Amino acid sequence: MTAADATIASRPRVLPAWKRLLLSEYLVLVLTIFYFVVMWTIVPEIAAADTLLDILSAMMPLLVVAIGQTFVLIVAGIDLSAPSIIAMASVVGASVMTGDAGYANGSGVEILAGIVAFLAVGSVIGVFNGLCTTRFNMPSFIVTLTTMMFFSGAAIWYTTVHTDASSIGNLPRTFIEIGQGRIAGLPFSLGVVLVVAGIAHFILSRTVYGRWLYAVGLNPKAAAVSGVPVRNVIFWAFVISGVCAAISSILYTGRLETGTPVLGQRILLDVVGAAVIGGVSLFGGKGKILWTIFGVLFLTVIDKSLQLMGLPIASVFAIKGSIILAAAIIDATRHRLLVRG
Amino acid sequence: MNGFRGKFTLLALQNAPLILFAVLIIVFGFMSDRFLTPINFVNIVNQASHIAIIAIGMTFVLLIAGIDLSVGANMYLSAAVLGVFLVGMPPIVAFPVVAVLGLAFGAVNAVIITQLRVAAFITTLATLFVGRGIALYFSGNKMVPFSKSVLEFGRSTYLGVPSAIWVFAVVLIIALLVLKLTTFGRQVYAIGADPDAAAKAGINVKRVVFAVYCICGVCAAVGGLVSGSQVAVASSTFGFQKEFPVIAAAVLGGTSLFGGRGSVLGTVFGAVLIQTVENGLVMTNANPYIYPLVISVIIFIAVFTDSSRTTVLERLERRKIRVEPD
Repeated sequence: MTAADATIASRPRVLPAWKRLLLSEYLVLVLTIFYFVVMWTIVPEIAAADTLLDILSAMMPLLVVAIGQTFVLIVAGIDLSAPSIIAMASVVGASVMTGDAGYANGSGVEILAGIVAFLAVGSVIGVFNGLCTTRFNMPSFIVTLTTMMFFSGAAIWYTTVHTDASSIGNLPRTFIEIGQGRIAGLPFSLGVVLVVAGIAHFILSRTVYGRWLYAVGLNPKAAAVSGVPVRNVIFWAFVISGVCAAISSILYTGRLETGTPVLGQRILLDVVGAAVIGGVSLFGGKGKILWTIFGVLFLTVIDKSLQLMGLPIASVFAIKGSIILAAAIIDATRHRLLVRG
Repeated sequence: MNGFRGKFTLLALQNAPLILFAVLIIVFGFMSDRFLTPINFVNIVNQASHIAIIAIGMTFVLLIAGIDLSVGANMYLSAAVLGVFLVGMPPIVAFPVVAVLGLAFGAVNAVIITQLRVAAFITTLATLFVGRGIALYFSGNKMVPFSKSVLEFGRSTYLGVPSAIWVFAVVLIIALLVLKLTTFGRQVYAIGADPDAAAKAGINVKRVVFAVYCICGVCAAVGGLVSGSQVAVASSTFGFQKEFPVIAAAVLGGTSLFGGRGSVLGTVFGAVLIQTVENGLVMTNANPYIYPLVISVIIFIAVFTDSSRTTVLERLERRKIRVEPD
């Protein structure tokens, strides 16, 4: 081989700009910005400071659940129970804190007790999901499908036991501030989410456990042979998902000022959809917190813009579905291009 | 002794859903006089038929390790078209039209999955939204009433058996014949067990996968028709999240989500089992808020025993090798 050949071989291939964009991990972000700009010309209100803040606070609770879901998706599992954890944690937490004969009412630590209750519900359900998938070899889809059915039912039943109303209100003011409060104009929930996202990103990219997650997702058998404690890795992914759902429930409950058993009922497919649109694979081994953030941002911006346009629910459904589909098709094309090299 | 006990455990685990079914029937039978009557049994099958029909289609999809989340939206779209556009038509004309529409819905899923190579989960998640959106547009977000002739069909009986059960029986027999006796049926199992090996063996994987999603689409539409003719009006939440009980019925009947394992009869058994529990709870005047709790526990137990069976089987086979060293 001559020196000239070597330079040609080592010269990086220059891809056309559209291909580079298609292959970039910022594709979803670029699409979101593009969509936003197009919408700006149709509904200028979308760029108003209030709307932007609205989008920001609307995406916070969704983002936390989606971050938890990312861990489970990376190990090639799925957690359908996340929305029911949100609902169950919401009513249990509210029943502890509420001024109407709450368990911890008047004890002086009702908010702390409430938050502990939220997290306890999330981790207990997460532990259950994790145990069933890892110790009893049950498929995570079915385990979390049954926990979803069980706890969405249980949340409604729990509410009927506690109150005649359809939700548990009269929560302490300080707690509501977690969901609604603002610091220097920015929602307080943003801080919570930043911390969660920071920790999650750190775990995935900088710790041994993070590497294990990807290894298990790509090939559990190879991971087991290499000494990765596969069962424990998967188990903790479900616990993390449960806890994240509980944190999300705290934010939602604070925002709505009541513990509601139907909270999060309709976000199940949004949560999985957001992560997958961001580029997290349903088959495991592929995913980043940043991607999930982009996916959630994308879905939230679409939701908000359709809401601003005042479209009937029929169009909202149809447009949202088409956009998810378009994103999925682009992702599939991108994947094919990547494989081809 | 150990081997005997192992075999006994295995036998119990293998027939766990049946044992569960028997226990439930005995318990409910003791708790309510009206439960163990022929009329109630017909009633249970009648109410289970729409879920069973859709779950039969879902079984095909699960057998190739796919999934279809859009069946609920497909149901609602069929009902909306039937109630809004096909009002004047007699059911004998209208029903096939709607079934073809369901086929088209399934074909859209199939094109995206096989040609554009998008994951089935995300494809059908998207078509769920689009399908429901189109249906809501047709219905104007209002209740869709059905014509008299459709309701008459829903109420009619033939040889003392409600028409819903007849439709269900026809779908079941066709599905059974297709899976058991045709090349296509064997190809479905082969692709589910190992798609790469199936492709190497010369099976046109894309075409079979395409057909499977079309079958699921038709079944969802027919299920929508049957359910619609029973409930008289379709509200805007008709079929909402029906994909979950449908998948649960298939899994309860022993169908694997990873493809290659399952049967139509098992699925039908699963659908009837779920309906039996619901019916039993109604008959025993249980608190309605408890229904989902009991049903999810039963599904959980069935799947739990199924997974334990696999584990026990593995352990038994390992033991055999150790016991007989030549």
